[in-house]
Amino acid sequence: MGQETLTAQKRGGALPTTTANGGRSSAGRAPRGWQIQRTFNNIKITVLCGFVTILVLRGYIGVNLGTSDADAINSHLLQETNRILVEIRSDSDPDDLAEPEINPNVTYTLGPKISNWDQERKIWLDQNPQFPNSVNGKSRILLVTGSPPNPCDNPIGDHYLLKSIKNKIDYCRLHEIEIVYNMAHLERELAGYWAKLPLIRRLMLSHPEVEWIWWMDSDALFTDMVFELPLSKYNDYNMIIHGYPDLLFNQKSWIAVNTGSFLFRNCQWSLDLLDAWAPMGPKGRIRDEAGKILTANLKGRPAFEADDQSALIYLMISQKDQWMDKVFLENSFYLHGYWAGLVDRYEEMIEKYHPGLGDERWPFVTHFVGCKPCGSYGDYPVERCLSSMERAFNFADNQVLKLYGFRHRGLLSPKIKRIRNETATPLEFVDQFDIRRPVHGSSGS
Amino acid sequence: MLDWCFGPQWRWRLKRFFRNGKVTILCLLLTVVVIRGNLGAGRFGTPQQDFNEIRDHFYSSGRRSEPRRVLEEAQTTTTATTNDGDSNSYEQFDINKILVDEGEDEKPDPNKPYGLGPKISDWDEQRAEWLKKNPNFPNFIGPNKPRVLLVTGSSPKPCENQVGDHYLLKSIKNKIDYCRLHGVEIFYNMALLDAEMAGFWAKLPLIRKLLLSHPEVEFLWWMDSDAMFTDMAFEVPWERYRDHNFVMHGWNEMVYDQKNWIGLNTGSFLLRNCQWSLDILDAWAPMGPKGKIREEAGKILTRELKDRPVFEADDQSAMVYLLATQKDKWGEKVYLENAYYLHGYWGILVDRYEEMMENYHPGLGDHRWPLVTHFVGCKPCGKFGDYSVERCLKQMDRAFNFGDNQILQIYGFTHKTLASRRVKRTRNETSNPLEVKDELGLLHPAFKAVKVSSS
Repeated sequence: MGQETLTAQKRGGALPTTTANGGRSSAGRAPRGWQIQRTFNNIKITVLCGFVTILVLRGYIGVNLGTSDADAINSHLLQETNRILVEIRSDSDPDDLAEPEINPNVTYTLGPKISNWDQERKIWLDQNPQFPNSVNGKSRILLVTGSPPNPCDNPIGDHYLLKSIKNKIDYCRLHEIEIVYNMAHLERELAGYWAKLPLIRRLMLSHPEVEWIWWMDSDALFTDMVFELPLSKYNDYNMIIHGYPDLLFNQKSWIAVNTGSFLFRNCQWSLDLLDAWAPMGPKGRIRDEAGKILTANLKGRPAFEADDQSALIYLMISQKDQWMDKVFLENSFYLHGYWAGLVDRYEEMIEKYHPGLGDERWPFVTHFVGCKPCGSYGDYPVERCLSSMERAFNFADNQVLKLYGFRHRGLLSPKIKRIRNETATPLEFVDQFDIRRPVHGSSGS
Repeated sequence: MLDWCFGPQWRWRLKRFFRNGKVTILCLLLTVVVIRGNLGAGRFGTPQQDFNEIRDHFYSSGRRSEPRRVLEEAQTTTTATTNDGDSNSYEQFDINKILVDEGEDEKPDPNKPYGLGPKISDWDEQRAEWLKKNPNFPNFIGPNKPRVLLVTGSSPKPCENQVGDHYLLKSIKNKIDYCRLHGVEIFYNMALLDAEMAGFWAKLPLIRKLLLSHPEVEFLWWMDSDAMFTDMAFEVPWERYRDHNFVMHGWNEMVYDQKNWIGLNTGSFLLRNCQWSLDILDAWAPMGPKGKIREEAGKILTRELKDRPVFEADDQSAMVYLLATQKDKWGEKVYLENAYYLHGYWGILVDRYEEMMENYHPGLGDHRWPLVTHFVGCKPCGKFGDYSVERCLKQMDRAFNFGDNQILQIYGFTHKTLASRRVKRTRNETSNPLEVKDELGLLHPAFKAVKVSSS
């Protein structure tokens, strides 16, 4: 029937064009329609993929087309925080004018020469009896330590600086020692390890009531909270430093003494020694050249700029007669204790010995030389350094917490546990466990 | 014919169906992945959380072995470091690799109400007797000068913020300086004594423990780690508090009349070592235990106190509530000080430091030269605080330098500007150092002088 209609249309020829067109279009309509369909399909897929891509991009880069509030605020805060942290970390200073270059021909001095410090000091002490140089029969000691004014290269460095100063605060509170924590570079030329020299001199001259100035590095921790310096041993000496005479005079080793923990008496002799010590310090050409001399003369010293320890050793060797009769090389206890040989034995120490010995059985000071947690790279693996520092800190903290009835759960654990129940009569334990009580042998006049 | 037409067409339809289906499933999958990655999926968390969970799972299974072995493991891993040279680098070091969390937290008895410790009723007598037997440890180190212990602290774990520990370090240096000048001892706490009283409540068990362990201490001075001394010359007027046991910065009207939650501040306060103090600590503690008690208490406090936002109970609000509701019992011995800034809200102080330096001098302690600038809300040790990070950190630097200048001037130095870490000389070195007097008289201040024995 359809064919008849077609034939009729063809015979009629009423609409030849239509028929012709219709015939042509009907013949191409089938493949054309399929093409259109396929195109539509492709477009659909393209649009869908495009949509997904935009979603993904928005998720990772952000397009800010009505994004969620929390996301925007968080990412903005993060960016802002990072920008500020970078700014704080950088050492640049808005008012950094060029400092005048020091003349290398003139020997560097820490300050105007003082020649009568002993007399001046004695007069002052006589005139100021309310600021005596000894309290309760003990000579007044000032512990000096410090760290750079800018944040460490890595946040963990600041955290260990904090733990280190807490450790020192604890020891000094128990032994009535005052602390000065320095965060200022008093002399631009003597930056770095040399910064302690102008600082020590300044404090000596400002505080005549202080008998001993005790410099301690920020990477040295007290590990014997009971041990007290046997000051009566040093009545005839002006400088107490940990070291070995054999290493110093015979082997001329660059690690014969350690300037990470030492004491200076507040007297003319100390001022003179500081003046003799300082000339290798000024940074730049002087320090570099001095470094070469030191490396050439001292055994085992690597090649680097002059450091205060090597310079002091060189001074002690080359001017032995002038200085050594007043220097006490202490090695009967660990005024400085090199950490590597000590930190693994803490459990053994806890089992066999007790605080108050100060020597290899229970080290007075554990000094983390070479770890440099405030910098970017140390001389030892990071994990070893930091876990050892944590252990030393907790080892010492246990001795402080004992009075309060607590201890750390383990030497690597920040959490504590009770070792003594609470009681309604706490004072009996105070007498037993407080390190300052006469029971422990500390002086009480 | 129809079958023949249907056949291929049916196959074609089937093919089309599968093709569409493939596309649909692919798109669905992608959408789910993207949404999951960006928004999280409720309790399943984000992929980052997943990763942390998986890592923790493997870590904790290692840690469940004997504690001793864990310690040895932690030591021997040092010899097994893999990366060449990278193991010496402190960059991006993860502290969780070395901290060992062992042992069980003390499980509190759920039937017993929370208590800071066994009730002590005769502390004044116990203490008096002890002081008599120990004349070497007097509770007064000068005629009007009680022995004071400043207590502050922070978490034993590193801060979440990259510079948080640095600001904690500056803050403790600032306190060391003030306390050295004023003969005050410091206790820096890094231990959580009672896991139930974590957070801002941690100070309560600590304060009680210190009071009972140090009978020689007359006043305990609690100070937050985000508070800094900005007046190094100001000595607290101890005589004023002769008849009081608890000194906080605040206003009587705001606490007793308005019940305003910021009517007083517990970031810096003085507490006398006596029976009354033990009693008020016991009365203060019940809102503290974490969990349901703290949450419920928080709701009560928000309801009862003026302007308090909704969050769990904090020690400050609880103290306001305690004083406002039990004024008769405690009010007589509480001194709400506002004549000087025992606590100074930083927002109104930090911009005026230059003006203060021009017009006034240290030793005033009040709005002209605040004793303490307290950076409430800054939370430098946490992730994000309530205020802009930039403003907080920069102002903390300025406050630190403002206080540090007063110390440095003793030795002839000062910071180049309040924002600068560099110092410059204000006085040349001299060959007569003992003739030099510092302007503020902080070198040998009167409040540090020892009693001169008449013999």
